Amino acid sequence: MTFEPIWGSIIAWYLFLAGLGGGAYVSAAIIRWRHPEAVHAIRYGRVIAPVVVIIGLCLLMLDATAGFHHPLRFALLLTNFGSVMTWGVVFLGAFTVLSLIGAGLDLAKRNVPMWLDIVAAVFGVCVAVYTGCLLGVCKTFPLWNNALLPILFLVSAMSTGMAAVLCVTILRAPAEFDRLVAFKKLHYVFPIVEIVLVAALLFVTAFSASPSGLESVMKLVAGDCALAFWFLFILVGLVLPTAVETWLLFLSSKEFEESRSAHMIGLASDVGVLVGGFVLRLLVLIAAMPLTLVTPWY
Amino acid sequence: MSENAITRRSFLAGSAGVAAVAAAGFTGFGAWQQAHADEEAGTGRTDAVHTLCNACSSKCGYTAYVVDGKLTKLIGDENNPNAEGHLCARGYGYSQIAYSKDRLTDPLKKNAQGKFEAITWDQAYAEIGEKVKAIIAENGPEAIGLVQDPRPSGSYYCNRFIAALGSPNTYTHGAACNLSKASGITQAIGTGDWVSDVANSQMTMFIGRSYCDGIRPSQVAALERAHENGAYIVMVDPRCNNSTVFADEWVPITPGTDLALVLAMSNVLIKNHLYDAEFVAANSVGFDDWAVAIEGCTPAWAEQLTGIPANTIESLAARFAEAAPAASIEPSWRGAYGCAYANSGETARAVALFNTLLGCWNQPGGALLTSGISAGKLDDPRFAAPPKVEAKKLGSEEYPLASASMGSAVYAGEMAKTGALKGMFFYYSNMAVGYSNPAYLADALSNLELMVVCDVQMSETAMLADYVLPETSYLERSELPEFGGGRVPYVALRSQVLDVIHPNTRSCDQIFTELAEACGVGEYFQFTQDELAEAQLNTVGLTLEGLRQVGTVQFPDKAFVYGKQPTFNTPAKKVQFTSEACAKAGLSPCPVWIEPQDPVGEGEYRLVGGKQAIMTHTQTANVPELMNIAEEYGLMRPWISVADAEALGIKDNDEIVVENDLHSGTSKVRVTERISPGVVYLPSHYGCTSPEQHTAYGKGLRIMDYVPFHIEPAYGSTMSQNTTVRIKKVGA
Amino acid sequence: MANYGMLINTKKCIGCYACRTACQRQNNLLPDEAFIRFEEREVGTYPSVRVEHVPLQCMHCEDAPCVSVCPTGAAKYGTDGIVEVDQGRCIGCLYCVAACPYQVRVRNSETGAVDKCRFCTVAAQDGTKMCSCVEACLTGCRIFGDLDDPDSEISKAIAETGATPIAGDLTKAKIYYVR
Repeated sequence: MTFEPIWGSIIAWYLFLAGLGGGAYVSAAIIRWRHPEAVHAIRYGRVIAPVVVIIGLCLLMLDATAGFHHPLRFALLLTNFGSVMTWGVVFLGAFTVLSLIGAGLDLAKRNVPMWLDIVAAVFGVCVAVYTGCLLGVCKTFPLWNNALLPILFLVSAMSTGMAAVLCVTILRAPAEFDRLVAFKKLHYVFPIVEIVLVAALLFVTAFSASPSGLESVMKLVAGDCALAFWFLFILVGLVLPTAVETWLLFLSSKEFEESRSAHMIGLASDVGVLVGGFVLRLLVLIAAMPLTLVTPWY
Repeated sequence: MSENAITRRSFLAGSAGVAAVAAAGFTGFGAWQQAHADEEAGTGRTDAVHTLCNACSSKCGYTAYVVDGKLTKLIGDENNPNAEGHLCARGYGYSQIAYSKDRLTDPLKKNAQGKFEAITWDQAYAEIGEKVKAIIAENGPEAIGLVQDPRPSGSYYCNRFIAALGSPNTYTHGAACNLSKASGITQAIGTGDWVSDVANSQMTMFIGRSYCDGIRPSQVAALERAHENGAYIVMVDPRCNNSTVFADEWVPITPGTDLALVLAMSNVLIKNHLYDAEFVAANSVGFDDWAVAIEGCTPAWAEQLTGIPANTIESLAARFAEAAPAASIEPSWRGAYGCAYANSGETARAVALFNTLLGCWNQPGGALLTSGISAGKLDDPRFAAPPKVEAKKLGSEEYPLASASMGSAVYAGEMAKTGALKGMFFYYSNMAVGYSNPAYLADALSNLELMVVCDVQMSETAMLADYVLPETSYLERSELPEFGGGRVPYVALRSQVLDVIHPNTRSCDQIFTELAEACGVGEYFQFTQDELAEAQLNTVGLTLEGLRQVGTVQFPDKAFVYGKQPTFNTPAKKVQFTSEACAKAGLSPCPVWIEPQDPVGEGEYRLVGGKQAIMTHTQTANVPELMNIAEEYGLMRPWISVADAEALGIKDNDEIVVENDLHSGTSKVRVTERISPGVVYLPSHYGCTSPEQHTAYGKGLRIMDYVPFHIEPAYGSTMSQNTTVRIKKVGA
Repeated sequence: MANYGMLINTKKCIGCYACRTACQRQNNLLPDEAFIRFEEREVGTYPSVRVEHVPLQCMHCEDAPCVSVCPTGAAKYGTDGIVEVDQGRCIGCLYCVAACPYQVRVRNSETGAVDKCRFCTVAAQDGTKMCSCVEACLTGCRIFGDLDDPDSEISKAIAETGATPIAGDLTKAKIYYVR
């Protein structure tokens, strides 16, 4: 029997944007801590967060067809606190409200209280972890049902959130971008951690009790998804950004690093991180094969 | 209903309570309450009507539950001997044909551009009548023919209509179904079928027939009982079919060589004196001739042809001898020798003779020659038969062994091509793509001056027609009583379940009555279907209303009794090991080995067909419920063996090319341990080319595209499996 | 209060799909909405091969992942051990579909809501017994009954055959298989 993935690109976008939003606000908080003078970058983080999360939520509601037809049913979402999704709704709701306030205050040139940034950032982390836990509790899919996936999604969320903030900063406040040295070095670490986590996830999944674990891994590394996995996720999303940033941050001259061409190369590298982040969500959704009960799905 | 059963009402009451609590505050929306709204709508009036299924020709009786005019449930009738309380997947699924969006709704006429346009019934009848009269005036009534897939009313009205016109040329779909099997058996024992007493047997062999793939519920139940009773069940089939679930032995065989297996087992019985010599001496003629004729048909000889090890053949024969007379070879139906090869009729004849060696006729667990029941003579002159037609049915001389009631519809196709037939009617028959090579038949039928098709959906045959007449679906019409045979003879009735859905569709009886009127032979149709049904039923002591109430009536007083001296309605009134008719038709007087098909060349695979439990012919593929199953489970895929796949570098679900000189097509493939190497199986239901069948159109390969137009000598069948194909991976 | 369950004897299943189409018909499901799915396994190699058909449907688990993950409470434990879907609460997020290890929950393509085998509670009406699939099965593969009643046909059959849930104790499933 052929297996059709349960969730497709709409949910992949949702998972990607929710994580990115969380990561963007966390970025804003980190920049405020390490580079308090970079007011533009901080603002971009605060603004990106609610915008992308709201887009993600709209996509989610669009995908939940029955709810889309009867929107008031969404009010029932808070009835089962045993469900990860219910907690996700709580986190997303709180995060959206907090980040909107943060963004609003910032745009209105009002002071954003430190506690607000910290609380919103904590919820941003919760949202990012939630996107992984949502899948992680499904025993159906060995690729999802492990403790590594939520961590991978968290790391990827932070990485994409930072990349998004950096992209906007490069385009709109290049001078500020050059001063975010500590932040950029932090951002540099994430793809490397991600590579390690992905490798671990594939190993753990491949050796899970059900043959569908190995099947999912094979689908990723050598099957239908292999091109997207190796080229878009590993190469464009992780290896190239790491290489580029290694060069820009550690090997190139300061003059070059602050040149417009270096900015554009950096922008491309961050766009690569974003592409990789989305492709990761999509691949995890479509490559996961359900448990083998009698015969493997194909 | 069991004591613990939850009624719908109590369940709803319960869930509503829970929901109301949980949803406090949401009651104003109304939206979420719609859950059970559909259930509660309408007056809830339920009617229960006994009727007969039309998903295959078994015509199982069931009770249709209709709520507010919509069919809701189907429950097989316990007292119907085919259903025994059950229906198969097709029965449930095909009921939806009534609501199909692809139904024919108006009479259609093909215009000069080759497009159909809707016309009135009056215009259709007037124009058809005129053309029929013109053909008869110019060429005589023998230039008119009709092909039908028999249904209770269809058989009566079609045959009467054609006879009234003065033509002998009525054909069933038999030439592409069970013609060779029935005709071959008739040459041996004087009747075309028997009932193997599977459930009570010690051993039953099935050759190319699978009760669990071409389903009649009572037969599945019998097979299951046999298995539980410890009967030794043998499935001879190139495929490990679904009936092997209840079998003790699957004997894979090279397609088309079943005759060699039967001859070799007969040889073993005779050589080792394991046959019922007493029965044979008392009840048959020509045994000695046959014994001599098959002297060389040893197991070792058969092994070369069948691929079955000689010792397997020896032990099967020995087992049969041990189990006899509670043993038989099941008569089969279409499967391996209904219409498949050049030796099909002779295979059937040999099977009947093998059972004779077992002395199992009418023995418990053996082969039962049951009888049926039929309507008596009707006194009312309105029902009198039209004058007897003196002319011979086209094909009856060329294929003299073909059962007269079926005829060779394939030959009729050839006669359309030669011009001997000028006008043809088709009732519920998709001959153009189901009976032989579609390209040949399309060309042949295009020669007709008049082609009229009566059906419920736009079949490929209907696409070729000049006029298409839309019939009501089987749920929207009543039919004549079905008089059936078997262990206990019965009469069953198809009653109208639903109101007519498309107002401009008409039932078979009305269409043919009105056609007869238009063709100038209305005097033979001066009665209603109900009047005829009443009269027929009165002859067996029933009334129409009485039968309608119960659906099926059995006649236990006419039931089959074990041990009854069998009567053989052959010219010799005995089992005929030798047949003069066969000899006159150019065959050996007694069945001997005949090569089944053209030699299989290098890189060629034998092509076999076969039914699936969810489909019948090509008529069910457009039912979404059933087609969804085929798509979900890849049932349209051809099967090839693991060994062949490895040799060709093909993996399961790869896209492959299936081709021969007639046709080439691609499909995903099923690689399986369940088929003999050297064989490709293609299910017989797919590859629809009628765009008006939106569900079925363009899905799967059509087996008949690979079969050349040819006819089995003497028997007149289509030789549906006498062909080979080449396969390769797409791009290889 | 009963605790309903089912036994499916795959040794008698011929893979004919009658249960699936009967269920669709009697429960008035859409053509593409089926509560029963099948897995087919070939055991052995040619010519010593046999085939096993395994019908799968909602297992009415005592530890049901669908109920755990459903954010709106649409998936819930009903009476008599039957897992239900309240169609009026379902938003169609498909989380339950992802969480069900048996892959037997389906989205209704018209309403977008998720549905699955109900042990025929909703459809039970005069003239039909409970569970259309049990009634329809041509070979009597299926037994429906109260697992808590030691004298019920199903309890006896489970004891006699040693039938077990298809995935062991993964979810405390209440459909038992003879394989």
